[in-house]
Amino acid sequence: MDGKVTIGRTAGLYIGAAVLRLAIFTLLPGIPDLLTGRVEISTPVTSFKRLQEGLFLYNHNVSPYDGGVYHQAPLFLPLFSLLPNASSYPIFTYLLYIAVDLLSAGALWKIADSGETVASALFTSPRKEKRWNGFIIAAVFLFNPFTVATCIGRSTSVFTTCAILHAIAKAVSGAPFSAMVAITFAGYLSLYPLLLLPPLVLLCYDRQRIERGIKSVIPFVATNIAVVAGIMGLLFGMSYLITGSWEFLTSTYGVQLTLSDLTPNVGLWWYFFIEMFDSFRSFFLGVFWLHLSCYVGGLTVRIRQQPLVVLTLLLGIFGIFKPYPSISDTSLFLALVPLYRHVFPLMRYTFVIAAVIMYATFLGPAFYYLWIYAGSGNANFFYAITLVWNLGQSLLVCDLMFAVLRDEWEVERPEMAGKEIRQI
Amino acid sequence: MSAQPPSSLSTDDAPPVAVTNATSELKQPPAEKPSDIRRRGYVILSFWLIVLLLGLPIWWKTTTIYRADLPLQEMLDWSDGKACRPVFPLRISIQANSLQDQEAQNLLRLTQHALDDLNDFAGHHLRLQLSPPLGDEATSATNNGSALTIRLSPGEATTATLDPYEPTLDITYPPNNIPSPTASSSALATYVASQLRSTFGEEQATISYLLSTNSMPSEHRPLGLSPETVESLAKRTTRSLKYSPTYHLTFSLFTSGALPSSWDIETAIEEYMKPVLDVLSPIHNFTIDTQVQLYAAPGVQNDVLQKQDLSSFINAAEWPLSPSIGGAPTINFIVFVGNQTIVTSPESESSQSWLIPQWGTVYLLSQPWDTTHVSTETLKQPLLTFTSHLFSLLGTPQSGSLPLRLSTLTRIRSADLLLRASSTLGSLARLALALPSISIPSSVADGVSKTMTHLRLACDNLGGLDGLEHARIAEAEAERAFFEKSMVGQLFFPDEHKIAVYLPLLGPVAVPLIMGAINEFKAWRKRRREKAEKGAEKKKE
Repeated sequence: MDGKVTIGRTAGLYIGAAVLRLAIFTLLPGIPDLLTGRVEISTPVTSFKRLQEGLFLYNHNVSPYDGGVYHQAPLFLPLFSLLPNASSYPIFTYLLYIAVDLLSAGALWKIADSGETVASALFTSPRKEKRWNGFIIAAVFLFNPFTVATCIGRSTSVFTTCAILHAIAKAVSGAPFSAMVAITFAGYLSLYPLLLLPPLVLLCYDRQRIERGIKSVIPFVATNIAVVAGIMGLLFGMSYLITGSWEFLTSTYGVQLTLSDLTPNVGLWWYFFIEMFDSFRSFFLGVFWLHLSCYVGGLTVRIRQQPLVVLTLLLGIFGIFKPYPSISDTSLFLALVPLYRHVFPLMRYTFVIAAVIMYATFLGPAFYYLWIYAGSGNANFFYAITLVWNLGQSLLVCDLMFAVLRDEWEVERPEMAGKEIRQI
Repeated sequence: MSAQPPSSLSTDDAPPVAVTNATSELKQPPAEKPSDIRRRGYVILSFWLIVLLLGLPIWWKTTTIYRADLPLQEMLDWSDGKACRPVFPLRISIQANSLQDQEAQNLLRLTQHALDDLNDFAGHHLRLQLSPPLGDEATSATNNGSALTIRLSPGEATTATLDPYEPTLDITYPPNNIPSPTASSSALATYVASQLRSTFGEEQATISYLLSTNSMPSEHRPLGLSPETVESLAKRTTRSLKYSPTYHLTFSLFTSGALPSSWDIETAIEEYMKPVLDVLSPIHNFTIDTQVQLYAAPGVQNDVLQKQDLSSFINAAEWPLSPSIGGAPTINFIVFVGNQTIVTSPESESSQSWLIPQWGTVYLLSQPWDTTHVSTETLKQPLLTFTSHLFSLLGTPQSGSLPLRLSTLTRIRSADLLLRASSTLGSLARLALALPSISIPSSVADGVSKTMTHLRLACDNLGGLDGLEHARIAEAEAERAFFEKSMVGQLFFPDEHKIAVYLPLLGPVAVPLIMGAINEFKAWRKRRREKAEKGAEKKKE
């Protein structure tokens, strides 16, 4: 925590993380396939197994979306078909996933070093001295068991994570174009990151205003949206060229929007839609998606001074309420939380949150086993534990929001610092 | 979650200056900044905008029930019989080659009068016409579409015989019986009329029975059916199978032991049954399969079968009798080789076969124990029995010559299908009226309009094969529309249940939204009032 990070320490961290992953990949050869099959890691829209199925069809000149197994973006296919076959030479796939994790860590490091969390354009925290440097933040991300498990399980959500982190990193370093390109990639891969656009554009705008003195907000927003639309059109065009039809739109985004694959996951949607009356299904799909997106406006307005906080909280909310969440989304949220080291003392439920998340982490797989393999439980067992898991996450989101708002409030009322308060 | 932002740590209704009360230890928070108030307004607005601009349209679009427009009144008219009066205009040609044209006309007029006097049922109308005297008899009878041809020829006495192969009634008359041009009645005309009446009596009775069992208005309903006739007609109707354009015939040889193990069923069918099937082909198609089953134990092991045994004779559990192959209903014909006999009552002689309503026929064939092969000749009697039972199972009337019976069958079936399709339409219309929340997909409206087109065509062509075809299509379409799957699923979903669907999720979401909006509105009104008061005070000063 001395703030000085030598090149040797940086290299050591990255090499350590890479070696850990490589060791698990190579020394425990059963683990990757085990984790790939876990519902907590692989959802229908990120599963590596399904990717291989799509890849096989693609390499045999069949539409990868035939058979209704593959629901991921078409651009994964040429990328993975460049690599040697994952079953005969898995090492190349491993290296790709490790590289993506390290890239994410690098982006996170940049975000941490920018100091955006403690001193944004419109707000400077009174506790800004108390923060972790990029080394610690990157280390927390790289050695987080959830991140490691996602990497070993080769879920394609790591690419989305990487794109989102890069979008934020570019935004805080004052490169709105690159940020928009990165967030478009994330949106192209898994759709929901597009909801991050309003706070991200604001973040870019705040940074630009400091550095270049841009005044008017509307042309800036319009330009950014045009960039996103242009890049998205380009990506769709490339996808169309690759697959030869527009079928991929319904098979990738359509599945996310309509939740046609009801494979259980750690989220809240699948159980609800198993029980849903058919005639109300489309209505409640609308309700769930609106619920997911309604936080964007409110949070962006409320915490206008710190757009990065909005991004963090939204990522936490998406990890709870999106259609196909996995622990990968939690790992992304948990990667950003340590950036708020300075408000940790203001949080009230850290112990409860840690306990609930650990409880759900250990009991979740057990309850899933009881339901699917032992047959002594039913779907309610697993659903109950996912409720606990999401309760833990939403507690964390709420507590972090409380802490950040209290931090803001103490700037306004310095005399109240350290006193008990209650909301009235 | 953030509709009530936690930062609103100061109350809305805090007075601008803290109340300094010496005894109170509570310190009042300072007033909220206007920027904070505005921000809270925006936050609440952002949630409400999503609810109103996106949520409401989605709710409207996804939960409105699609109800295609159905011509309900027309459908009800059909089922009430107002849209179509089933009228069977039967034309009957008279061939009187030996009569003068004038005499023939006169006779025809008198006979028509006599017929009209006898007839009490408007739906079934016999109309006489003279056929060209020199025309070829067979072609003229079929070409001009008449149901029956009467051949008048002079003879010794007044006799009438039905031609067994053609729809022709041969009537002979003594030459002195020709009515004079001025006579107002004639014995010959009355005789011809009563002959015609008895020939078509059964058909008339059947059709009037069909009409009376359906919901036809009373003015079309014939009155003169005796209870016995009704009973026998009801019996025959329950015995016959539901109309289908194709039937599947299954011929099965069941033997109680190891022998006989083969039969000449193919040649036997070819010889004894095929001609009848060919005759029936304009009305029905038939597909045929055969099977042999050894050591087949019947459901009843007695040597002498009583009447009550017959219903349990079929060993449904073990005999491979599939209920239906493909889409066509199956008619089963079973030859059972064993030593059982049927004695229904002590005085009657034993019989060999019995008919199972809507199912088929069983024939008990007794053979010497060492017969290995059932020959065509042995199969003659069973197959003839099967053939006559087939007529019963198809609902063919029993009296009259074969061609007449078949044309009658066509008309009866057309009427039956027409009435059934109409009543299905009526049920669908009543269902649509009774359940306002049931969804009506466009495929149903499609089916209804097709049904009505074909019903109209069938109604206009009643009595012919075209009419039968249209009635059949209409019935199939009506059934398809009525049993539309997506409609049936909605049947048991009353409006009350919607509360149970909406409330658990939307209730908790709605409470903070609505409370936030109400609080905000109250605060806004209060601020306005205070401002107004301040303004008034200033004015006073």
